Amino acid sequence: MATTGLQNQERVPENLKKQLALAVRSIQWSYAIFWSISAGQPGVLEWGDGYYNGDIKTRKTIQAGEFNSDQLGLQRSEQLRELYESLSAGESNPQASRRPSAALSPEDLTDTEWYYLVCMSFLFNIGEGLPGRALANGQPIWLCNAHYADSKVFGRSLLAKSASIQTVVCFPFLQGVVELGATDLVLEDLSFIQQVKSSFLEIPYPIISKKSSTGAGNVRNDKDLACSALDQKMLDTTMIPVVGCEVLEMTSPNDSSYGIEPNQPAEDSFMANGVASQVQNWQFIDDEFSNCIHHSMNSSDCISQTFVDPGKVVCAPKDDNKPIGSCLQEVLECNDMKLTSLDLRGNDLHYQSVLSALLKTSHQLILGPHFRNCNQESSFISWKKGGLRNCKKQRDETPQKLLKKILFEVPRMDKNRVLESSEDNGIKDDVCRPEADEFAANLHVLSERRRREKLNERFITLKSLVPSISKFDKVSILDDTIIYLQELERKVEELESRPELPELVGRTKRKPKDTIERTSDNYGNNKISNGKKPPNKRKACDIDEMEPEIEYVVPKDGSTDNITVSTNDKNVLIEIRCPWREGILIEIMDAVSNLHLDSHSVQSSTTEEILSATIKSKYKGLTVASAGKIRQSLHRVVWKC
Amino acid sequence: MENSSQESHLRSENSVTYESPYQLYAMALASSSSSSRHHRIALGSFIEDFNNRVDIVSFDPETLTVKTHPSLCFDHPYPPTKLMFQPTSLRKSSDLLASSGDFLRLWEVRDSSVEPLTVLNNSKSSEFCAPLTSFDWNEIEPKRLGTSSIDTTCTIWDIERGVVETQLIAHDKEVYDICWGEARVFASVSADGSVRIFDLRDKEHSTIIYESPQPDTPLLRLAWNKQDLRYMATVLMDSNKVVILDIRSPTMPVAELERHRAGVNAIAWAPQSSRHICSVGDDSQALIWELPPVAGPNGIDPMSMYSAASEINQLQWSAAQPEWIAIAFSNKMQLLKV
Repeated sequence: MATTGLQNQERVPENLKKQLALAVRSIQWSYAIFWSISAGQPGVLEWGDGYYNGDIKTRKTIQAGEFNSDQLGLQRSEQLRELYESLSAGESNPQASRRPSAALSPEDLTDTEWYYLVCMSFLFNIGEGLPGRALANGQPIWLCNAHYADSKVFGRSLLAKSASIQTVVCFPFLQGVVELGATDLVLEDLSFIQQVKSSFLEIPYPIISKKSSTGAGNVRNDKDLACSALDQKMLDTTMIPVVGCEVLEMTSPNDSSYGIEPNQPAEDSFMANGVASQVQNWQFIDDEFSNCIHHSMNSSDCISQTFVDPGKVVCAPKDDNKPIGSCLQEVLECNDMKLTSLDLRGNDLHYQSVLSALLKTSHQLILGPHFRNCNQESSFISWKKGGLRNCKKQRDETPQKLLKKILFEVPRMDKNRVLESSEDNGIKDDVCRPEADEFAANLHVLSERRRREKLNERFITLKSLVPSISKFDKVSILDDTIIYLQELERKVEELESRPELPELVGRTKRKPKDTIERTSDNYGNNKISNGKKPPNKRKACDIDEMEPEIEYVVPKDGSTDNITVSTNDKNVLIEIRCPWREGILIEIMDAVSNLHLDSHSVQSSTTEEILSATIKSKYKGLTVASAGKIRQSLHRVVWKC
Repeated sequence: MENSSQESHLRSENSVTYESPYQLYAMALASSSSSSRHHRIALGSFIEDFNNRVDIVSFDPETLTVKTHPSLCFDHPYPPTKLMFQPTSLRKSSDLLASSGDFLRLWEVRDSSVEPLTVLNNSKSSEFCAPLTSFDWNEIEPKRLGTSSIDTTCTIWDIERGVVETQLIAHDKEVYDICWGEARVFASVSADGSVRIFDLRDKEHSTIIYESPQPDTPLLRLAWNKQDLRYMATVLMDSNKVVILDIRSPTMPVAELERHRAGVNAIAWAPQSSRHICSVGDDSQALIWELPPVAGPNGIDPMSMYSAASEINQLQWSAAQPEWIAIAFSNKMQLLKV
C-alpha cells in the first residue's frame, strides 16, 4: 500500500484533496473521491484521493490545540485512509503497531464512513462501474437513489444503502474521475457539475493565465493552458475571483478554435455562484496558500503527463462544449432504477458488520512468486488453448456425475428409514432402524432395509385407509386405526340391531362424506357432499367453479340411491350414492361413457356397502344429454339388479 | 512404524499416484504430520451401498511414495460425503478426523489404530439426523464445525462439548456446501441457487451475495478464499464455470472462469496465495488460475493445467503442503507438484 501511495502522489495532484475538500464542503455533500488510473495496472481506476465530509461518530485527535473545521475534516480523511491501510494490511502486520495513538478503530466509524472506507478497496475497469463508465464515456453520470440501484448499474448499492447514500455523481476530471456522494436525494443537475468543476477544481493558475495571454497565437501554449487549467492549484485568496474571470475571458476565444476548452464560457450566474461559495472558503484557502507555491512545481509534471495521451485529456473538456441540453441524453441512471432482485432490505446493517469483520482479517494479495515460474518439477504445464488433447470421451454422460451422486443420491440412500420424507415437513420417526454399530453387517442391513421398506409401504396404505389419522408417525397410525376399527365394529353392531333402511341412510350420509374429505386432498374442488343438496354444502370455491346456471337434479325420495347431476356449460358433475355390488363402478363408468361424457376425474369410496362416487366429466360430442337423461341412465344402471 | 506398508508403484518425477480398490470421492489431507514427516491422507470410498471404507494413507514427499496402513482403515457404511482433518491439531499423538454422511462422525487417528470418538446427531426428536452433504471445520476456532444438510439447515457444532451450538434454516432448499470465513462467519450454497453469508452473532439475518443466473440452478460447491476473504468461488450444476464472487459487490460475479470443457467438480483456493485457485472437472483437467486484477474482454485463461486419465472428482490443496495438489479420479488419488 505504501508504494501505491507514492505512486499516487505522482498521478494525483497533491493539492487535489484540498480541492475536493473545498468542493464537497461548499456543496455540503458527504464525500468526494478522486479515482485515478492505476500506475500498477493500466486501464484500471483506483482510489486516488478523497475527502470525507459526512457524519462522524468518534473524533480522535492527539493535539489538544484548536482546529478549525477544515483541518478537522482533512485530518478525518487522513485518519480514515490510515485506518483502511492498517485494516487491509492485516492486524498481524507490524505496520499496525505503529499506528498513531489517535488512530481510528473500526468501532469509531459511522455507516457513511464505512462506506467511504470500503470504497478505498474498489478497483474499476475503465468502462465498468460508475467511475469507469464516466471516464469511458467522458460524460458525467448522475445516479439518484443509489441505495436502490441495481448492483449491475452501481456495484456499491448495498453498501450505499447501509450508509444511506442516495445520490452519487461521477464525472471525468483530469485523467481520472471525481465521484461525489450525498445522503440526500439531489436531482440531476448538470450545471451543478459544471459549477463544481469550474469553481473548485479548475481554478486557474495565475502564471498560466499569463502564458496564454502572451502566446495567444501559439497552439502549443494553448494546449498548455488547456491542460494545466485542468490541474489547478489554489491561489491567493484575493486573486481568485478576479483571476477566474480573467482567464475565462482570455481563454475562451483562443481555445474554441482548437477545440480544447477546459473552462467553458460559463453562464454568468454560474460564476457568481462559484465565486460566492469561494468567498466562504477563503479562510480555508488562505491556510493552504503557503503550500501552493511548492505544489506548483509538481503541477508541471502532471501537465507533461497529460500530453502523453492527448486523446484522453481532450475527452473530458470536449463534453463541456456541448450545450447542456445534449448532455441530458447521457445515461440517466435514475430511469434505469430498479430494486435489486434480492430482498436485502433490513439486512444491510448485518452485511456491513460482516464486511467489517472480514476486512479486519483480510490480507493483502500475496503472490507466491514460485507460481509464476513453474519450476520444471511441476506436474502442471502451461495452459494452452485447446489443451493437451481433446476430450476423446463423448459426454453423453451426466456431467458432474459423482458430485451429483454425492449430493443428490447419497443423502437419499437411506430415505426409506423416513416414513414420509417430503410430505410431512420432516416429521421423521423410525423405530426399526438398526443401531449405528449394526450397520457394518451389510447383509443384515440390506434385509433390514427391505423389511423397513415394506413396513413403511404398508403403513402408508393403512394410513390412507383410515380417515381419522392426523399424525404421520407409526404409533399414531396404529392408535388411530385401533380407534377407527373399534368405531366400525360399534357401527356394525348398531346396524345389525336396527335394520330399518331410512335411518341407516340418515346416518351413513355423513360418514362417507367425511371419508372423502379426509382422503382426497388431491381433489380439492371435489369435496362435495353426497346425498345432500349440493348448493348448501359446497364451499365457496366450488360454487365459483360451477358458475351461474347450474341445473340440479336432486332426487325427491330419500332412498339409499342418490344421483345428483349438475351441468355447467360442457362440464358435468355426477354424484352417486348407491348400494355397492361387484363391478358397479365399471358399469357406471360405461354408462357415463355411453352418454358421450368424457370423465376426467373419478373419486369413489365404499363404506358399509354404500358406494359413493363423484365423477367430473365433459361432454365429448355435440349430442348433449340433459342432466335428467344422465340421471335416468345412471339410475337404470344402479338399480339394474 | 509397525504398519505393513505398500509402496505405490505409479510415480514419476513430479506426481505420485495411489490406486485404491474402490472408486474414491472424499479426501482429506492432514494439517499436521504428528507422527512423522509423512503426511496423512484420508480417502473415502464411493460405493453405492452401505459398505464404504475410509483408508488412511501416508505420503512422503521426500521419496515420493504413498504408504497404506491397513490398521488405519475403517468401515464407514455410508459413503463419506466429506472428510476433513482438524485444521489445527490440538492433540500431540493423534489426528482428529471428521466424516459426514448419515451423521457427523469424529475419529481419532492414532499411530496404529483409528478409534471412533463420537457420532453427532443434530436431531433432538429423533435418533437420526437428515443426511449431511458437507461440512467445514473452523480454522480459527477448531472446536467449531459446521455441517450442511438436505433438510435446508446448517448446524454449528461445538465438538469439544459435543453439543449443537446453533442450527439455522439456511436456505429454501437442500444445502450442498458450507464454508467458514472467520471464527463466526460462514457461507453456504444450496439447491435454491444462492450463496448466503451468515454471522453467528446475528442469526436472524443472512445475506445473499449471489444467485445463479437461471433461477434455481443449484450451486454445488463453495470455496472461500482464506487469504483474501473478499473472494469466494462457487460451482453451478451442469456448468463448466467457476464463478468468482466479491462479497463487497453482491449478485455480480467479479469473474467467471470458463475454460473447462465439461462440468466442474471441485475448486480449491491456493493456501498461500490469494490470487490462485485450482479447479478440476469432467474434462479430466486440473487447471490453476491466476486471477488478474481485472479480467480482460476474452475472459481469463488458466495459468497452467494438468490432464488426468478420467473425470477428476475431488481436489484438495492443503496449507500443510502448499506445493502439492491432491486430486482423485476413478479409483486413483494423485498428488501433483504445483
